[in-house]
Amino acid sequence: MTSKNEKVNQENILSNDQIQINSYENDSVEAPRYSCALSGVYGTTLGIRGGVPILHSGAGCGIGQLFGTLYAGGQSAGGNEGGTSTPCSCLVEEHVIFGGEEKLRNLIQSTIEIFNGSLFVVISGCVPSLIGDDVDSIVDEFRDKASIIHVNAPGFEGNSFEGYEQFWDAIVKQLLTPKEKQPKLVNIFGIVPYNHVFWKGELLNIKNILKKIGVDANIIFTEKDGLENIKKIPSAEYNIVLSQWQGHEIAERLKNKFQIPYIKFPSVPVGAKQTSEFLRKVGEKLNISSDKIESLIEEEEDRTYRFMEYPADAVILVRPHSYFAVVADSGTAIGITKFLTNELGYLPDIIQITDNPPDKYRESIVKEIIENIETVVRPDIIFEADTYNIRENLKDRPFLFLLSSSLEAPTATEDFGALHISVSFPVYNRSILVHNYSGYDGGLQLFEDVISTFVGPL
Amino acid sequence: MKKIKEIAIYGKGGIGKSTTTSNISAALSDAGYTVMQVGCDPKSDSTNTLTGGKSIPTVLESLRKRRGNLKVEDVIIEGFNEIYCVEAGGPEPGVGCAGRGIITAIEFLKQENIYEKYSPDVVLYDVLGDVVCGGFAMPIREGVANQVYTVSSADFMAIYAANNLFKGIKKYSNGGGALFSGLIANSVTFPAQKDILEDFILQTKSTIAGFIPRSLTVTQAELWGKTTIEANPDSNQAEVYRKLAKSIYNNKEEYIPSPLESDELKNWAESWSDKLLELRKQEEGDFKI
Ligand SMILES: Nc1ncnc2c1ncn2[C@@H]1O[C@H](COP(=O)(O)OP(=O)(O)O)[C@@H](O)[C@H]1O
Ligand SMILES: [Mg+2]
Repeated sequence: MTSKNEKVNQENILSNDQIQINSYENDSVEAPRYSCALSGVYGTTLGIRGGVPILHSGAGCGIGQLFGTLYAGGQSAGGNEGGTSTPCSCLVEEHVIFGGEEKLRNLIQSTIEIFNGSLFVVISGCVPSLIGDDVDSIVDEFRDKASIIHVNAPGFEGNSFEGYEQFWDAIVKQLLTPKEKQPKLVNIFGIVPYNHVFWKGELLNIKNILKKIGVDANIIFTEKDGLENIKKIPSAEYNIVLSQWQGHEIAERLKNKFQIPYIKFPSVPVGAKQTSEFLRKVGEKLNISSDKIESLIEEEEDRTYRFMEYPADAVILVRPHSYFAVVADSGTAIGITKFLTNELGYLPDIIQITDNPPDKYRESIVKEIIENIETVVRPDIIFEADTYNIRENLKDRPFLFLLSSSLEAPTATEDFGALHISVSFPVYNRSILVHNYSGYDGGLQLFEDVISTFVGPL
Repeated sequence: MKKIKEIAIYGKGGIGKSTTTSNISAALSDAGYTVMQVGCDPKSDSTNTLTGGKSIPTVLESLRKRRGNLKVEDVIIEGFNEIYCVEAGGPEPGVGCAGRGIITAIEFLKQENIYEKYSPDVVLYDVLGDVVCGGFAMPIREGVANQVYTVSSADFMAIYAANNLFKGIKKYSNGGGALFSGLIANSVTFPAQKDILEDFILQTKSTIAGFIPRSLTVTQAELWGKTTIEANPDSNQAEVYRKLAKSIYNNKEEYIPSPLESDELKNWAESWSDKLLELRKQEEGDFKI
C-alpha cells in the first residue's frame, strides 16, 4: 500500500463498509450493555468509600441496580450503603401527584443520622424529574449538616456511562473549591465503576505504576477517605483520562474551573507496549527525567517479555495467529484489541463497541483501533448495544476467541465455535476483585486468561 | 343499563367552564334528570355554586388520607337538587403532577362502578385547559366522555385553548376517543365577538352549541354561592342556560373538528386584529358603565 493510499484510507475511514457507525437509539434495545443515567451515578457513588447514595425514585430503581449494575459488574455487591441497604424515597402514586419533597426531606434527615458516610449523594430518578420536584432546595437545607450533593439523573437522560459524567458535573459545581497545587499529583478519570468491570484492579495498578515514577495518582475510588480524595481533585497538576470519551467532560470542566490540563489516553494501557507508551507520555508532561522512565520501562519490559515466553509454546503449537472478536465498552475494546493484535500476533475479526459513545467520539474510537493495530487484517468495527444484533453480527465468522460479556458465555462454543472470556459489562459469571488487564502484569493476565481457555483439561 | 350521556367541557382557565357547567347541571336536574358533575381541575371549585359556595373533599386528597380505604360515598356529595358533585382535586400549584392526578381520580371513579351505584342520566366533566399533557386528555380518551364541548370567548387565548383541544380530540379519535359536539360561546355581548367565533368555527369545521351573554346576574348568584338557575330562575340568563342545557342533552352531533396549525391560527388571528382593537375599546367603555 502506498502512502498516498493510506492517507485516502484514513480520510475515508467512516465510509468503509467494514465500519458501522450506526445509531441504534431510536430502536428498542434487547439486553443492553449498560443501564440508565441513574445507575451510572449510583455505581459511581458506591465506588467511593464513604459515599452514600440516596435515591429519590421508585423502589425498583434501587433493587433493579443491585441486579442490573452491581452483580452485573463482576458479582460486586454494594457494601453497607448499596444494594438492599440503599436509602430510597420509594415514591408511589401519591408522590407523583402531590410531589415527593417532604418524603425526601425526611429520608435525607434520617440517612445522615443513621449512616456512617462522609459524602451523601441524592440521586433524582425519573419521577421527580418528570414532575419537577425542587430537590435542589431540599438538598440546600442540609448542606451545613453534611457533605451532600444532588445529581439530577432521570434514567431517560442517558446511559450509565453518561451518569458517570453527571456525577462529576455535580461534584465540580457543588463541592469543589480551589486548592493549592500539589506537584506530581494527578487525578485519574474515565474508568466507570461497575460498568467498566475491571475498575478496581485497574485503578490500583495505575496508582502503583505511577508511584514508581514519582507520580501520586489520586484514583478517588476504592480507597479509604473517598471524600478527602474528591476534595483533593483541584490540587492536581494534571488529570489523566483513560478513555476515548468517558471522563472527557469532567476533564474539560476541571480545566476551565481550576486550570488543570489533562492528558488523554484511548484506554487503560494493556500490556507492555501500551504501558511503556503511557509512562513516556506522562513522564514527558510531568517533567520526569527520561532516564528514570526508561530504566523503569527496561526493567518492566524485560520481566514481562520473559514471562510471556512461558505460555508461548501453547500459543505457537495450539492456537497461533487466531482470529478473535471483542464485544465491549470502548475503553476495554481498544486496549484488548491492540494488545492481542500487537503483542500476541492474533487477528482482529470483529469489534463491537457497546457503550453507545456520543456521535462526536465515534470516529476517533474507530481511528484509534484502525491506526494502531500492526496487522494487514482490517476488523469490522460496529457500534452496537443490542444483544440480539450483537449475536447476529457474530455469526459465521472465523474468530476462535470471543471476549465479551457473560451473556455470550454459555453458548459461545455452540453458537460461534469460540472460546469465551468475560471482559465487559455485564459480567455475572466471574467474580472480579483485583483481576484486570492494565499495566505490564495486566497484559500477562490477559495472556493467562486466553491460554487458559484451551489448555488442559487435565 | 340505561344509556348515560357523558360530556366533557374544556376551556382555558377563568373562561367560565365551571359557571356554565354548573348551570347546565342545575338546569338538567331541574328538568328531572339525575346529574353528576365531576370537576377535573386542581383548583377544585367546579361544583362550588352547587354546594352553597362551600368546598367539598376531593378524590385525590381523600385517597391520600384513606390509603386504599376510600369509599365513593366520601367524595360524592349531594348538592343543589341532589346533583352528585365530585372534585378530582390536585396538588398545590407548582408541585407534583396535576395531569397524573386527573388520571388517578378518574380511574378511581371508574373502578368503583359509580355509574351503577348512582345511575346518573348525565355526567359532566369540567376539565381545565389547554390539554397540555396526557393527563388532561384523560376525559376524552376511550371509555370516559363521549361528547366534548369547549367554552370559549372571542379572546384569542381562549380560542387558542379551543384549537388545542381540537388537536387532542383528533389524536384520540383514532382510538375510539370522544368526539366534538360544539363550542359554547361565553361572555358574548358585542356583534364583533360573535363574528370572530363564527369565523373560527368555520375555519375549523366545527359548530356553535350556544351563545351566553355576559351578565351581572351570574356574578350576583356566584357571590351567594349559587348557580343562576338556583338564585334567579326567572332571569333571562337562567333561560339562556336552560335552553343551552336542553339543546346539549338532545345534541346528537359528534364529529372530529379540523384544528388550525400554529401558523394558520396566527395568520387567522392577525386577520381579525382591527376588529379586536375596536372591541377592546368597546369593552373598556362597557367597563366604565
Ligand atoms: N356569562 C358570564 N357572565 C358573567 N360572569 C361570568 C360569566 N361566565 C363566567 N363568569 C365569571 O367568570 C369567572 C370565572 O368563571 P369560572 O366558571 O370559574 O371559570 P373556569 O371554570 O373556566 O375557570 C367567575 O367569576 C364567573 O362568575
Ligand atoms: Mg373552573
